[in-house]
Amino acid sequence: MSDPIRGQTAICGLGITEMGKVYGHDASWFAGEAIRLAVEDAGLQKDDLDGLLINPGITGMMGTGISIPLQNYLGLRNLRLLNHMNSFGATASAMVHFAAMAVHHGMANYVACVFSDAPLQQGGSAGAAYGGAGRRGPTGMASLMPAFGFYGANTSYALAARRYMEQYGITNNDLGRVSVTQRRYAVDNPHATMRQPLTLEDYHNSRWIVDPFHLLDCCLVSNGAVCTIVTTAERAKDLPSSPAYIWGMGQGHPGNLPHAEVETYTTSGATIAGETAYNMAGVGPEDVDICEFYDCYTYTVLRTIEDYGLAKPGEAIGLYPDDPSDPEADLPLINTGGGQLSSYYMWGMTPISEGVIQARGSGGDRQVEQHDIVLCSGNGGTLDTHGTLILSPNAN
Amino acid sequence: MAYDKPLPNPDEQTQPFFDALQNHKLLLQYFPSADHYQFPFSDRCYKDWSTDWEWRESTGSGEVYSWVRMHQLYHPSWKAEIPYTLAVVQLDEGPRMNTNLVNVQADDIKVGMRVQVVFDDVTNEFTLPKFEPA
Repeated sequence: MSDPIRGQTAICGLGITEMGKVYGHDASWFAGEAIRLAVEDAGLQKDDLDGLLINPGITGMMGTGISIPLQNYLGLRNLRLLNHMNSFGATASAMVHFAAMAVHHGMANYVACVFSDAPLQQGGSAGAAYGGAGRRGPTGMASLMPAFGFYGANTSYALAARRYMEQYGITNNDLGRVSVTQRRYAVDNPHATMRQPLTLEDYHNSRWIVDPFHLLDCCLVSNGAVCTIVTTAERAKDLPSSPAYIWGMGQGHPGNLPHAEVETYTTSGATIAGETAYNMAGVGPEDVDICEFYDCYTYTVLRTIEDYGLAKPGEAIGLYPDDPSDPEADLPLINTGGGQLSSYYMWGMTPISEGVIQARGSGGDRQVEQHDIVLCSGNGGTLDTHGTLILSPNAN
Repeated sequence: MAYDKPLPNPDEQTQPFFDALQNHKLLLQYFPSADHYQFPFSDRCYKDWSTDWEWRESTGSGEVYSWVRMHQLYHPSWKAEIPYTLAVVQLDEGPRMNTNLVNVQADDIKVGMRVQVVFDDVTNEFTLPKFEPA
């Protein structure tokens, strides 16, 4: 049985800025662009916005990210809902969840949910942008981490991937199959940063970052912003844009306790979040047409596939062709815009933005024919936080 | 050549842990009410929220929970070491700790491999608890 809120709310506007190495603007500027584009896409006016939910990316930890002052920067005078939210990569889903509940219960009519980031500086590397963030000389036991040479999210996800790979006999070539598949989709995505086709040989030749991860196992770092506008299904029907109806919502946050009693690296919050969202939507894994999964690393995609019940433990790689660069190969309908690995890294807004595009049928050359049920995931920390959205072009 | 890698920076609460390392002892926090060993340091047991605890010496025995080889240079002092081996070791007392694996070839490392703590006196002031095959 589905929940009465299924199909009662919708994403009615989507704004995606130019992505990647776009210099000369700060995160507020990108946020302003994305919100402007989303309002225009929805067929709304500025003053219609009465809700604003804000998620800064890594610049939020560097002190230059967007926060509550964004309201005044954009002169939003009608807000009945305003917050700065952060559950890392699960935030984008969570913003849409809270926005949907708010509009459903009359707390607001049109809520802009925005992610914006601008960590890339001209002449600086992506590694410097992320690896250096927040490194201010930790004290206490945290100071052991740099003393042992642990740096960045790459290391913790590589540790997670290794444990999974050894448990199920997954190889680097398998991770490469995920990477090459997503690049093939990015070739057809005009928003994507990396649009040169890849082969498995290219994958193996890409430099090691932290073994088992090559460079091509790791997501991009992008400047840019994405905004979605959430409203009720009733209001969405009166707008010129085609809505992506929200059928299911769920969250699951297992955390990350380093103890023998807790398995962390080969589990994620998708199991709990997915069950909640499937129940709300009244659908199951067998009904899903398209998946847009948070893919900070290739491994994250395999983890997520399994935790949503789309493959048995250790068998997610079976959904991928042996050589995805073969033009004859059938690609799984997963991360159809290239994902964070190849299109753009807007935390949880990367999967949601492509999910909205696919649900609306506006994917152009990469549009999937059957797009009734689109499953989107957000994931944060080292598989610590998780959010799910199930979108559909159909109200019911 | 002088040791130029990042060094620990103890605070008041963790000073005893770092002092013990210099004496080649690995300490863990033990919370009696939950019969629970905890790492890294916290002023509260996450199982029953008790704030009563004591330091206990670990056996230093455990197994590799996972491991990686770091190739990326984040800090110039690691240049000569790259690639080096990072690991998470699950101690027999329960807690997992991040560390370096030493005295082992990468090809020989496996998840689940038994390891034992080895104390690396990196400077006169600091000793790091690393692990080697048991």
